Amino acid sequence: MHATAPTAAQRSPFDRVRRVVVSPRAARLTAPVLFVVAWQLIVPLLSSRIIPMPADVFREMIDIAKDGSVFEAFAISLSRLAIGFALAVVIGGVLGVAMGISPRLEAMLHDFVIVGLTFPYLIWGLLVAMWFGFGSQGPIIVVFIAALPYVMLNVLEGVRDVSKELRDMARAYEVPSARVMRQLVVPSLSPFLFAALRYGLANGWKGLVLAEVFAATSGAGWAIADNSDYGNFAGVVAYSLYFAIVSIAIETVVFDRLSRRVFRWRSVAAGRGGRSIEGVDRKIDEEV
Amino acid sequence: MAIRTARHTTEQSGLDMLPVSTTQPASPWRWRVTAYVLFIGIWQLLSTFVFEPFVLPSPVAVVQEMWQIFSSGDFWSNFFATTRQLAIGFVLTFVLGTALGIVMGRSAYWNAIFRDYIMVTLTTPGLVFALICVMIFGLSAVGPIVAIVLTSLPHVTVNVVEGVRAIPRDLIDMATAYGVDRRTILRNVMLPSLAPYMFTAVRYGFAIAWKITALTELFGGAKGVGIQIRVAFQFFNTSGVLAWAFFLVGLALIIERLVLTRLEARFFRWRPKAFG
Repeated sequence: MHATAPTAAQRSPFDRVRRVVVSPRAARLTAPVLFVVAWQLIVPLLSSRIIPMPADVFREMIDIAKDGSVFEAFAISLSRLAIGFALAVVIGGVLGVAMGISPRLEAMLHDFVIVGLTFPYLIWGLLVAMWFGFGSQGPIIVVFIAALPYVMLNVLEGVRDVSKELRDMARAYEVPSARVMRQLVVPSLSPFLFAALRYGLANGWKGLVLAEVFAATSGAGWAIADNSDYGNFAGVVAYSLYFAIVSIAIETVVFDRLSRRVFRWRSVAAGRGGRSIEGVDRKIDEEV
Repeated sequence: MAIRTARHTTEQSGLDMLPVSTTQPASPWRWRVTAYVLFIGIWQLLSTFVFEPFVLPSPVAVVQEMWQIFSSGDFWSNFFATTRQLAIGFVLTFVLGTALGIVMGRSAYWNAIFRDYIMVTLTTPGLVFALICVMIFGLSAVGPIVAIVLTSLPHVTVNVVEGVRAIPRDLIDMATAYGVDRRTILRNVMLPSLAPYMFTAVRYGFAIAWKITALTELFGGAKGVGIQIRVAFQFFNTSGVLAWAFFLVGLALIIERLVLTRLEARFFRWRPKAFG
């Protein structure tokens, strides 16, 4: 890449344009454009008449942004997410540490955590609808249930991961415990806490949206299902795109920044060389 | 304080001797059994003394419901429909996801093209895809299959991309320098380093796939477990919802634990233990 840079000035303008177009940076812009073009071209070919065109969806997106309904829906959902997730962090953190201390408790809870990871949020959504009816209670409980096993597992792993040799050495040299906490325990726990935050939030969000379909009359999940029930398909797609935008925003703004801050202390060599799919790479790095 | 608790762990559970496997701790089975007994006991108590039976049916009622579903033949016909869609969808996902992963792992350009789609589909709730697929494909069996591909493909792709990047370049260079032919390189260098990522890809993809199948069926399908769950829900039949849910989770756990994990263990027999 760098070796070819000086010669670029001598190339013909066409070549230069071509270079820009095939560069990975341009590709990220090309991709959504291609997507919209394909959409515009393919939909008229389909026999179904109910699939909206990009322009319809765009109008709908502006409409629901103008009358504020989309902001209201997401604000309600995010506040439910915050409450449920806060509960999961507190209770899951305590249980995770307790499981780290006591092998008995770990043996008792292990299978339930695994089933908790597996049990579909769909079922929880239906159950809370039957148990609590419509409202905020059901969705908040589903967020809690969805996030809890991720928090527990990651905290448990984190407690186990604190290096025994370093702890022994710190004790032998009588390092004050506040410093051990700050310079050994917190740094070695932090990737696990970060993973707990990440997976807990991501899964809490998925659970929340499903629960809102069945057990709420407000929020983003309810709004998209409501549009679907009334056959307003432009509305369904418009909400889907807002979901995607919120996902990207959370992923790139919050997590990328945050993880860069949290893992500042890590050596560069430890990270992967080059620019990879950062947001996505870590998803598999920290397999639970 | 956290320091002392952590030391406690490693000493008591003997984890120092088990450096590799953390997912299967040396667990005394007595405590596991105790936990199950406690769980079922509390459930039974709650259902008899606290809640109405239609709100929280007793474990016995759920087992009876499961037996009734099983013996009436509903079980087989619905699970056949769901499993077929799951199988078709998942095979498609695997083939497409692997191809896409290889392309993305080798080329920065294609990586940049698809990277945002992958991220969006990884993080967007499956509900969105289920609704759109039902909207486009109506009640046909195609909807769930497309939903499976859309939602589990990124999980497969991400892992394959990682695998392609992890292929040891220097070993390939050396093999080429010593005149080893391409087939041998593929078989003895590339595949072994790609394989663990492929297995992770399969497990992740599968975990997503069976959930989205049930979800899409629930919103629009003709036959399958998802439909049965919806019917039970609409009749406020809590034990029916729980019975079908247990069947579904049971099937998924069996496939995952017995089939996929075994297959993986078999495949990696040749490996020295320290490698994993």
